[in-house]
Amino acid sequence: MVLNLRSPLAVASGPGGMGEYMEFIDPETLGAYILKTITLHPKEGATPPRLRAGKDFVINRIGLENPGIDVFVEDVASGKYNYLFEKVPVILSLGGDSPDEYKEIARKSLPIIDRFIAVEYNFSCPNVEAGGLAIVSDRMVLKDIMVSVRDILKDTFLIAKFGIEGIFVEQASDMVKDTGWNGITLINTIRGIVKTPDGYIRGGISGAVLKPIGMRAVYEVRQRHGDMFIMASGGVYTPEDAKDYLDVGANAVQIGSALFKNPSIIDELYEGLSDKSS
Amino acid sequence: MHRWENKTIHIKKRFKLTDDTYILVLREHIDFTPGQFIMIENPMATRKPFILGYFGEDTALAVQVKGEGTRWIVNQSVLRAHYPLGKPFIPPQGKGIAIVSPASLTFGCSMFRIYGTDVLLGSRKEILTDIPFPSVIGDSAFADKIREIKGGYDYYVVNGSRGMEKFVYDTVGEGVFVSLEEYMACGIGACKGCAIETKDGIKHVCTDGPIFRGDEIWF
Repeated sequence: MVLNLRSPLAVASGPGGMGEYMEFIDPETLGAYILKTITLHPKEGATPPRLRAGKDFVINRIGLENPGIDVFVEDVASGKYNYLFEKVPVILSLGGDSPDEYKEIARKSLPIIDRFIAVEYNFSCPNVEAGGLAIVSDRMVLKDIMVSVRDILKDTFLIAKFGIEGIFVEQASDMVKDTGWNGITLINTIRGIVKTPDGYIRGGISGAVLKPIGMRAVYEVRQRHGDMFIMASGGVYTPEDAKDYLDVGANAVQIGSALFKNPSIIDELYEGLSDKSS
Repeated sequence: MHRWENKTIHIKKRFKLTDDTYILVLREHIDFTPGQFIMIENPMATRKPFILGYFGEDTALAVQVKGEGTRWIVNQSVLRAHYPLGKPFIPPQGKGIAIVSPASLTFGCSMFRIYGTDVLLGSRKEILTDIPFPSVIGDSAFADKIREIKGGYDYYVVNGSRGMEKFVYDTVGEGVFVSLEEYMACGIGACKGCAIETKDGIKHVCTDGPIFRGDEIWF
């Protein structure tokens, strides 16, 4: 299976919400819009406060706030997201709180799965008590989930999103290959803590500080798997950032927190990349 | 037709309202409804929200310098921003008053201009410029004034510190609306970062607010 994107730029799951940023993006400049992670059950998200920013980072503890797969399937079927499907290829992001939930949500997504060009499984959210990062710490459990999901979503382009915690990216990429998945997203946020006047915020760090870490992750996986589809994520703010990731082996680049700095950044990155390649 | 615009704005005039709060008067006219806000790019990793307002006939912002990002903003003449964001505030019937801090004086001006409300400025600091509204300086004078006007209006919309908003709500009760501030990243409902806990569950300041009924809020 091959995923051909019309642009190497994608909106990352999480910061991009459910398509809101398309108000600012020329659809032709975007390869894919990855939706916010949907879980089996609805999640109200983490207790506020959820966010702080420094110059080079954002820390968040959103906690996968989402309506749950049942409501989401109904919403897709009723046309709620047609405005998005009409403009841009969309990737579904799925997550869970237990191995069974990761499998069950795959089954529940079947009625709408053809609307998406791929599914990205979030194996790395740091802001939920169970699931996310907790899943990857047990290789047998992770493998069991990935084998089962592959079996349920037989014809779907499956991408596994990993961070750098709980598993080495080299091992994670081997798992992707061994279980017949199609691609890998590297990296997710990294757990951090920030002191505020009112206390501490424990959450996931994103932003420019992640770029050298993400670059190394992409580089190592590309060295190991020459033909694996790799989406890079972490600290892309300029055309040079995107080009650097593509140079070390990424097939596409996700933009997340940079949208908070400039909601029109995708268009500017696309233009910058075009200038560099001409 | 886009709901929001991401554009460059120009500051044609700035002056100090207090020792840490500036009024930035924009060259551009922005279409907005009172209660809506603008997100402004700055050296930090997220844009910062400011409620849209007027000063006289001009679109204007009030910016309190709280740190590096706001200090940078008040010193620029050209800014990148997206707007208008948030849920417009549609007041109830009757006569209202906007009770504002220096950092929301321009919001008070918009309530006066669009809805004909009275405006009261409450400040802990000396006001350094002439304003066309009554003002009270200090907590004690503010408290006396709120007790004095209690019952005199059909609604009260308060835009200031949480302590100021709580005092007005506790004193006046029914008919009080408050403008909430929470750290934001997107301003458009995508990231879910500006969540607050209300008596009706989790809400998001950028899309459900920023102005809420006082009786919805856990003060």
